[in-house]
Amino acid sequence: MIIIGERINGMFKDIGEALRNKDPKPFQHWAVKQEEGGAHYLDVNSGPAVPTDERPEAYKWMVNVLQEVSKLPLCLDSTNYDAIQAGLELCQRPALINSVPAERAKIERVFPMAVQFNASVIGLTMDKKGIPKDAENRVAFAMELVAAADEFGLNMEDLFIDPLILPVNVAQEHAPEVLESLRQVKMLANPAPRTVLGLSNVSQKSPDRHLINRTYLAMAMAVGLDAAIMDANDDDLVDVAATGQILLNKSIYADSYLKVFRAH
Amino acid sequence: MGLTGLEIYKQLPKKNCGECGTPTCLAFAMALAAGKGALDSCPYVSDAARDALASASAPPIKSIKFGNGSTLGDETVLFRHDKTFYHPTTVLIQVSDTLKDADLATKVKQINDLEFDRVGLHYGVDGIAVVEESGDPARFAQAVKVVADNTEKSLLLLSDNVAALQAAAPAVAAKKPLLGNATEGNYEAVVALAKELALPVILKADGLDALNDLVEKAQALGYKEFVLDPGSRKPVQTLANLTQLRRQAIKKKFRPFGYPVVAFTSKNEPMDEIAEASIYVTKYASAIVLKADKKGLLLPLLTLRTNIYTDPQKPIQVEPTLHSVGDINENSLVYVTTNFSLTYYSVEGEVEASKIPSYILPIDTDGTSVLTAYAAGKFEPEKIADALLNCGVADKVNHKNVIIPGYVAVISGKLQEKTGWKVIVGPRESSGIVSFVRSLTNG
Repeated sequence: MIIIGERINGMFKDIGEALRNKDPKPFQHWAVKQEEGGAHYLDVNSGPAVPTDERPEAYKWMVNVLQEVSKLPLCLDSTNYDAIQAGLELCQRPALINSVPAERAKIERVFPMAVQFNASVIGLTMDKKGIPKDAENRVAFAMELVAAADEFGLNMEDLFIDPLILPVNVAQEHAPEVLESLRQVKMLANPAPRTVLGLSNVSQKSPDRHLINRTYLAMAMAVGLDAAIMDANDDDLVDVAATGQILLNKSIYADSYLKVFRAH
Repeated sequence: MGLTGLEIYKQLPKKNCGECGTPTCLAFAMALAAGKGALDSCPYVSDAARDALASASAPPIKSIKFGNGSTLGDETVLFRHDKTFYHPTTVLIQVSDTLKDADLATKVKQINDLEFDRVGLHYGVDGIAVVEESGDPARFAQAVKVVADNTEKSLLLLSDNVAALQAAAPAVAAKKPLLGNATEGNYEAVVALAKELALPVILKADGLDALNDLVEKAQALGYKEFVLDPGSRKPVQTLANLTQLRRQAIKKKFRPFGYPVVAFTSKNEPMDEIAEASIYVTKYASAIVLKADKKGLLLPLLTLRTNIYTDPQKPIQVEPTLHSVGDINENSLVYVTTNFSLTYYSVEGEVEASKIPSYILPIDTDGTSVLTAYAAGKFEPEKIADALLNCGVADKVNHKNVIIPGYVAVISGKLQEKTGWKVIVGPRESSGIVSFVRSLTNG
């Protein structure tokens, strides 16, 4: 289970302010803290804190300050592909591009860039018209992304399909469809593409967010989830990720498996 | 094994004409992968694509049968712990057609005797490879006949000379020998002979690229009963070839390599040769051809083969008969345990360490441990009593004391009642046996 720490995002007040003031401290604080929590990647998202045309510079700055304190690879999270490209040029370890929808123009922009920089790509099962409701159409979009990976020479293991989970309080019927999508995506190619979710989305504006997050994580892992953008400092949640690894026979059991999981 | 959407899509014409009733070829590929459509509804799919799709759904490595019950190939994993290896390596001993008829017959009889009984299992060499070294087709045919007349084992007829194979094979075709070698130079004639006699044939080329070419050319002759030989006779290169052949066939469904592989040893020193053969047994050779023909050399190799091809999902069992440890006599102790190998050997090791010659009786619990067997009703006093009274140990010792595992102390009363033996409750863990018997014999 690959944990992508979600905390470095301009939507959070401390990160947004720090980005405007070019103050590296909150970035570096969260980089270290998320790694200690068990993160394998750091998601990096400027949010709306800087204007669009300044984003490439902002991503360069963020990549640099994070790499000063952390060896974790970065997950560059933006819809501005110039910003992502600027960040990729500075990344010392293979990064993850977050994200591209199943739209031809965007695929043509992002997939060759990923191959050029040896990066992985998160592909969203949606197009301009939005997020489909059922598993069947989500998987159809996933198939277009899979065919594109084959076309552009991206390793299938470097494609992460995100079937897009929505908040359970307002879009409850999506949750089981996303589970079914995860299961089917694994059958599209051999080797199969990997899968990812923006996990915290499932519990937006619900009480008991932590409980909903970790319950859904366990369910999704059982049907083939490989990675999640999530709260790497929710210890109960990381415990579920570690325990899932054991119960799926992906990591060899030891009494100290919770500790071992975080040491990697 | 179903096809993935991507594999199907790559074979489709990508016209997106919608004539199949699905808007795009991509959607049609997904419908096929989900089993919701038929390939025939696409009017533009080529025959080559149809073949590719049909063969892609076949097992990754073809099963090839020959001789007296020898099965090659039909494997599905790279590591036995992922599932199991199914068909143990076929071991063949080579004999040369330059030997005189009488010497040949003697040697074949020696090979027939290479059979072993060990720890309750019976195993032996599977076949004989007759190698043409005389350069004379008539001599090769005669040698093959002598070998065939003197053995029931599987046969491999090995020559690069088409005339020799044509002279020897028809007379023994009923024994369904494996033929070899079809090479770049002679494959048309050798494959034609194999096809006519319905025999499997070895395709031999120098290296993987050449082998790929040869397989494709041989397949074009309309025959598919092949065994592959990637040519190298250097162990390190053979190991690399065997690994690639298995990996490409299973991981990439690379059809030209979807056949079993035969390996030939190169070392002349017998111990080196067995070490070399051991590598090929562990790393994917479906058949091995050896020179070594001594019992002492073959027993370890065949034991290794048995071990490697054991199903890891099934518990390994020891024979549920009376075992003895050390120089036993009429005063020896008697232990009872289960026939799960892990349990049995834990006990045996400790009994050995106690330096007191003893008997150990493993009860047949279908290979489960003491507590598992007890919880499942397979380690009941009635069953232990039957085994104890029937194993004959009573005639071998001058006492009636039996030691049982400490975890099942609760059965001691009933067991004593059923057998008339004095039941002594041993330690819970076998690691306590040494100090336990010391206190027992001192007290």
